[in-house]
Amino acid sequence: MGSADARARGPAARGRLTGLLRDPGSFRDPDSSVLYDGEGVLRGLTERALADWSAFSATQLYPRLVESGKLVGTQTVDRTDVAPELADGWAALLRHERIPFVSYPYEWTFRMLRDAALLQLELLLSALDEDLTLKDATPYNVQWRGTEPVFIDVGSFERLRPGEAWAGYRQFCMLFLYPLLVRALRGVPFQPWLRGSIDGITPEECRRLLAGRDLRRRGVFAHVYLHAKLERRYGDRRRDLKRELRSAGFSKELIRVNVRKLERLVRSLEPRHEESAWTTYGAVNTYSEADAEGKAAFVQAAAEATRPRLVWDIGCNDGRYSRVAAGASEYVLAIDADERVVDRLYRALRAEGIRNILPLVVDVADPSPALGWRNRERRTLSERGRPDLTLCLALVHHLAITRNVPIRELLDWLRSLGTALVIEFATPEDAMVERLLAAKPEGLHSDYAREPFERALGSAFAVERSEELSSGTRVLYFARPRP
Amino acid sequence: MSAILGYLDPGTGSLILQLIAGGAAAVAVTGKLYWGRLMRVLGVRRREDD
Repeated sequence: MGSADARARGPAARGRLTGLLRDPGSFRDPDSSVLYDGEGVLRGLTERALADWSAFSATQLYPRLVESGKLVGTQTVDRTDVAPELADGWAALLRHERIPFVSYPYEWTFRMLRDAALLQLELLLSALDEDLTLKDATPYNVQWRGTEPVFIDVGSFERLRPGEAWAGYRQFCMLFLYPLLVRALRGVPFQPWLRGSIDGITPEECRRLLAGRDLRRRGVFAHVYLHAKLERRYGDRRRDLKRELRSAGFSKELIRVNVRKLERLVRSLEPRHEESAWTTYGAVNTYSEADAEGKAAFVQAAAEATRPRLVWDIGCNDGRYSRVAAGASEYVLAIDADERVVDRLYRALRAEGIRNILPLVVDVADPSPALGWRNRERRTLSERGRPDLTLCLALVHHLAITRNVPIRELLDWLRSLGTALVIEFATPEDAMVERLLAAKPEGLHSDYAREPFERALGSAFAVERSEELSSGTRVLYFARPRP
Repeated sequence: MSAILGYLDPGTGSLILQLIAGGAAAVAVTGKLYWGRLMRVLGVRRREDD
């Protein structure tokens, strides 16, 4: 179902559906698929999935989860609003609340993945109370409203078949537990791994990544070492173990025991290696408080002038300007390449209860690519939502000098996003710029100067306002893209 | 009757591990599982049609 033509017909009026496009990343569970109706998000269910949904939505658990924000808001679409050719094989259609910006676990921090894991386990435990279970256990089923994790796959809830073990356990290990373990025990960041492997870390890979002495750590012997051994031993044997387990009396109580243990294990994990060059940046950076206040006022004015739906704050660090922008915007993506500063920001925002800033680990010089089957299961960052306003504060010199990204390229890329811009330029006399230049061969960045920067900016953007900060080495520009 | 199973392969090793990780709670089930296997090996019990 679905075609480019269907989308060309545009967003449906509320209620009446006019065209549906299937999410190319939603195919793994053939019983339940995500569909788009312009900006709206729907889910198509087969007969079997409809029976599971009917069982789940009839429980007290379902409204409780939606009300507490843990489960995505969902309504059943009235059959009379669906043209028969759109219903195309689906027994029912559900309409979901729209998540402001879709993100992936390789863009999350340690604590984000940990909170998502705890949500997954909590939902499974409460599902078991209702004789339901979750058919999978993947972080791709968790999204965020700011710093609040939301489970988005109502199709994952199904009726528990008596005597059946937890089918999602292996997936939980590969995509939640092992990534957390390698970071907590070895200090190895999980993001590059999850970005490189859509199904996560296998038991054998995790076993090889951990050190011998990690075997003494809670959970490692069973969930990693034995798991890898058993998988090697039974990997190619096709024994009907599920049936055997059922007749041996495997019960949901056993799943419960395991899930509770996993919950305690996950909760006990803390990231190793906390400090980075950037975690203290807010406190010891080279610019003054007067400059910071000037910047905040400038960002505030730009946000009020554009009233953006989506802001990208690239190189957000402690999120000071993300917060300023958030006051006059619908949603802010606070991105930084340094996982530790983003993790710190996540904790702070969560504690403050701010719900319209999503912190993500993204290196703008190497942003998230398209991944998975036909490179369509996971989309690039900009395919998931282009900004109306982008903040590039204390960013240009790091990209241009440290990463050697040509300034014209940077501006071309920003122009291609069609976004308004608040961009800061630090002159060659700036203490930070001097430090960065000192690390590079002399003369390599001789073109790094205010005049060529302004020329390049002016050719891609119309500068509406500029302001020199009180330190005298930093200039801010507010610009809109040229048509 | 063959139950309709989920789309995800739970993995044989991963299923057994759930018994091991279950600890004391899983002892009875593990015992019955292996007892059943032993009985089948000895020919006392046949594989049920399922």
